[in-house]
Amino acid sequence: MSNHLAAGGSGASIWLQELFRRHYTKVVTWCLRVAGDREEAYDLAQGVFVKAQRHLGAFRGDSKVSTWLYSITRSECLNYLKSRCLLDDALDDDVAEALPDDPESRPEHVFELHSSVLAARALLDRELTDTEKRVFILHYGDDVPLLTITRLLGLENPSGAKAYLVSARRKLARVLSRWRASERLIA
Amino acid sequence: MAQARSRERSLLRKALSPSCACATPLELGGLADGSLAQPAATRLSDHVSGCARCQTELTLLKEFENAAPGPDEEGAVSWISARLERRFSEASAGPSPSRTDRGAALPRRSWFTALNVGGFALAAATLSAAVTIGLREGRAPELAQPSATASAVLRSAGITPLSPAGDLDAQPNELRWAPRTDAASYSVQVMEADFAELWNAETRDASIALPPALRARIVPGKPILWEVVAKDAAGRAVAWSGKQRFRIRK
Repeated sequence: MSNHLAAGGSGASIWLQELFRRHYTKVVTWCLRVAGDREEAYDLAQGVFVKAQRHLGAFRGDSKVSTWLYSITRSECLNYLKSRCLLDDALDDDVAEALPDDPESRPEHVFELHSSVLAARALLDRELTDTEKRVFILHYGDDVPLLTITRLLGLENPSGAKAYLVSARRKLARVLSRWRASERLIA
Repeated sequence: MAQARSRERSLLRKALSPSCACATPLELGGLADGSLAQPAATRLSDHVSGCARCQTELTLLKEFENAAPGPDEEGAVSWISARLERRFSEASAGPSPSRTDRGAALPRRSWFTALNVGGFALAAATLSAAVTIGLREGRAPELAQPSATASAVLRSAGITPLSPAGDLDAQPNELRWAPRTDAASYSVQVMEADFAELWNAETRDASIALPPALRARIVPGKPILWEVVAKDAAGRAVAWSGKQRFRIRK
C-alpha cells in the first residue's frame, strides 16, 4: 500500500480559512462589480462568507465549491440590490428618452399581447441578440441596475448595458407596431 | 408616469422570473462541468438550450468562475481581501477586544463578532441545524441527511461504499466498501469539500485504514469527501464509487 498526505494545516478555523481563501478573488471581484464601492463590497463579501460558513453543512459535494459560493453570492447580491433600492431610474429615464414616445411600444405590451409568458419569451428569444436578452432579463427580471450589468457582463462598449437595452426595446417596439398593423388589416 | 413605470416593472419582473422548469445555479454549474447526473442532465440541457433566463444565469456563472480583477479593480480587491483575511484571523483566534478593527464602522461587523463566541464552535453547531441555503425561493438545496444505514446515501457507480457516510459521532478509523470480483486493486482519495485532495492511497483490500496525519485533519463539522476507483490487473479503472460525504458532529 502506498499513500500520500496532501500538505495543509489542521483545525476547524484553519481549514475553513483555507477553503475560503481559495475563492476570495472571485467573490470579492463579483461583490465589487455589484456594489461599485469597496466599503460596500467588503460588507457584501463578508456577508457571503458568513452565510457560506453558516451553511457549509448543507454543501454535499455534488457541485464545485465555487458554484456553491456563486449561488450564495448571487442571492446576497440580489438582496443587497433590493435593500439599497439601487434601481437606477435616472438611467431608465435616459433609456426612455432614447425611444419613440409611444406608450403602446413599451415592452410590457409584448407580454400583454401574448396569451402566455412562454410565447412572449419565445418572441424575445427570436428578436433579441444574446447580450440584449441578458441585459433585458437582468434589468427587468431581477432589477439589476444597468451600471452593475455593464460590470458583471464585462461590456466594453461606451454606454455599456444601456445601449443594449435601448436596442432591445426598439426591436420590441417595431414588433409591436407590426402586430398592430396586421391587426388593423384583419379588422 | 411613475405609476406606468411601476406597472411595467411588475409585469416584466413576473414574466421574466425563473419558471419552475428553470435550473438552479447549482444545477447549471453541474451541467456546465458535466457533473450533473442523468436523467436530470438531459432534461435540464434541453430546457436550458431554449431558455433565455437560464442562459443568462449560465453566463453570469461563467463570468463569476472567471472573475479576475481588472486593472481598475485590483487595488480595491486587494484591500477587501486583506480585510477579510484579518477578519478570519480574528474570528479563528476567538474574542479579543484588543484586535478589534478600528477602521470605518461597518454594518455587518457584528456577524463575525457573533461567530467569535467559542471561535468556530458556534459556527460548526449552526451547521448541523442548517437545512436550506435560500439560493432561490423555493428551490433551496437539501442538507444531506444522516442515514441509519450507509446505503441510504450511496450514489453508486459500480462500487458500493459501506462507511463512513453521513454525520458521525466519532472519527472513522477506516474506509470500507463492498469488494468487486473484477478488481485487482483500489485507488482511494480523500478530499475537502472543494475537492482539494487531503490523501490518496492504493490497496488490494476492500478497506483501508486512515493514517493519523489524515485523521488529525478530520475535525468536527468539516465535510469530508472520499471515493474509490476499482482497477483491474492491468491498472484500468473498472468501477467507481462516486463521491461519498461524511462529517463528525460537533
